[in-house]
Amino acid sequence: MNLVRGYLSELRRAAVAEWNRFWFTPADPVTLALIRILAGAMLLYTHLVWTLGLTDFFGDHSWVSAEAAALAHGTGDATSYVWSYHWLLRSPAALWTAHIAGLVVFAMLTLGLFSRVTSVLAYLVAVSYVNRVPGALFGLDQINCMLAMYLMIGPSGAAWSLDRLLAARKGRGRLPPAEPSTSANLAIRLMQLQMCVIYFFAGLGKLHGESWWGGDAIWGAVANLEYQSLDMTWLASWPLTVAVITQVTVYWELFFCALVWPRLLRPLVLSLAIPLHLGIAVCMGMITFGLVMLIGCVSFVPPWLVRRLFSGVSSAGEDEQSAKGNEGLRKRGSRDAGKVASGKIRVES
Amino acid sequence: MPNQPSSYFAPGSGTPAAPRWSPHVRAVVSVLVALHVVALLVGPLSVPDSIIGRFLGRFYRPYIEAAYLNHGYKFFGPDPGPSHMVRYELELADGGSLKGVFPDREEHRPRLLYHRHFMLSEFIMGLSSAGDPRLPWEKQPLSEGQRVYSRSYAQHLLEKHQATRVTLYFVEHLLPSPEEVLGGMKLDDQRLYRTRKLGTYTPDDFDDTVAAARDAEERQ
Repeated sequence: MNLVRGYLSELRRAAVAEWNRFWFTPADPVTLALIRILAGAMLLYTHLVWTLGLTDFFGDHSWVSAEAAALAHGTGDATSYVWSYHWLLRSPAALWTAHIAGLVVFAMLTLGLFSRVTSVLAYLVAVSYVNRVPGALFGLDQINCMLAMYLMIGPSGAAWSLDRLLAARKGRGRLPPAEPSTSANLAIRLMQLQMCVIYFFAGLGKLHGESWWGGDAIWGAVANLEYQSLDMTWLASWPLTVAVITQVTVYWELFFCALVWPRLLRPLVLSLAIPLHLGIAVCMGMITFGLVMLIGCVSFVPPWLVRRLFSGVSSAGEDEQSAKGNEGLRKRGSRDAGKVASGKIRVES
Repeated sequence: MPNQPSSYFAPGSGTPAAPRWSPHVRAVVSVLVALHVVALLVGPLSVPDSIIGRFLGRFYRPYIEAAYLNHGYKFFGPDPGPSHMVRYELELADGGSLKGVFPDREEHRPRLLYHRHFMLSEFIMGLSSAGDPRLPWEKQPLSEGQRVYSRSYAQHLLEKHQATRVTLYFVEHLLPSPEEVLGGMKLDDQRLYRTRKLGTYTPDDFDDTVAAARDAEERQ
């Protein structure tokens, strides 16, 4: 009995410590900043394209009428929690004004200007657009809104932003260090977790289909003229290749949620995302969807690697100051970890 | 190079920094995070319908709808199937006529705008009901959802082109097998297309006054 009690007690302590480490370890916000730039640019492009069909999709006589939207949301006779400010825009002038304001918000987010405010506004704008036109949406919109949601949580403008340049100007030219931040870690962790959920259920959903199990699903994508942007029908002569690509896609999606966490496997798992999503982008013409999935995968790139890859973007001073901040936190972490190990302090959940 | 990493995961010793937030803040955030993580599962568990998805949906529906988390994430699943288009024929007020289709690679550019129109035509397919197995595909009745979306597309086209009548057709483009392609069949071979009528509409169909008068007449 004591053995079981001891095990459960140890399990609880380890779970609490691991939970705290996973969610609440302050992190360099530079990965979040990179995602802000990439996701902000994608949001801006997505909504710039809406400009070309603004009245067709969001005007009085939209492709998707109010009745059709209610039906798609499944809220015809129930209380709806789906919201969009587009239902309040009654005139073309109001629609265009709101649209231009939305574009400005996305541009400001990309540049990192007033990031804390523009990240919240960007999420509200993005969700308003998609909720107005169910039926015209696809995976791009889901990932766009997911990224916008988590950008609200962390200090995405703490690095590589106009906010930072403005702060530097206030500090008479001296760039303040990009402090490691708990909320930056929280935002990144939530993105990572949601990417795992997305891939797992994308893989699981494919197992409902005979062609993914059977190995010819990729042919279904290749032979679809309406999607096709690169003729890959020569694969008809290569059924084994089609089967391998099909099965690797399914298994990669299914096991992404487990294999992406071990540090040595992560680069391999992420590197497989590149041909998968670029393949969708190039062969099926879904460039935006392929790219936005890769932006989601950026959440798994550790901050030090982001800094190294883009060392020309941030100044050496910024790197050093950030490193000092990390080192200070690590020293404190080592001391606290030692105390936890020796039972001097208790980790609270 | 400053900040040289000694391991892949993190520079320096690899020992994680200690949490900065107080235990109380962490406790509150932990509860919120746990609730949110469960919310992430509700959408995928509900598409297709499942007992757990339905159970969780009772509590989570307000949150996942409001936060735009109500998705199944079944990208290209369960099977990549045939694609669908909507063809339309308009009778214009000046006596002329106009034919078109969506999506249209030439008209809908850039590619993202093409995909928006493509999703409109695909969405109407997703609203199919079980149908009548005794009837061929071309004669299957429209589901209520397909009727609503056909009306919506028709109204849009009538208003946009100031037309007096529009007829919509649903076009399914079947996929050739690898053997058929190796045998010389092109992806746009006419044998791969089949068409079914969605309906014919006039502006009166969307005029509440006319519709009410018509209903009253039918009742008499």
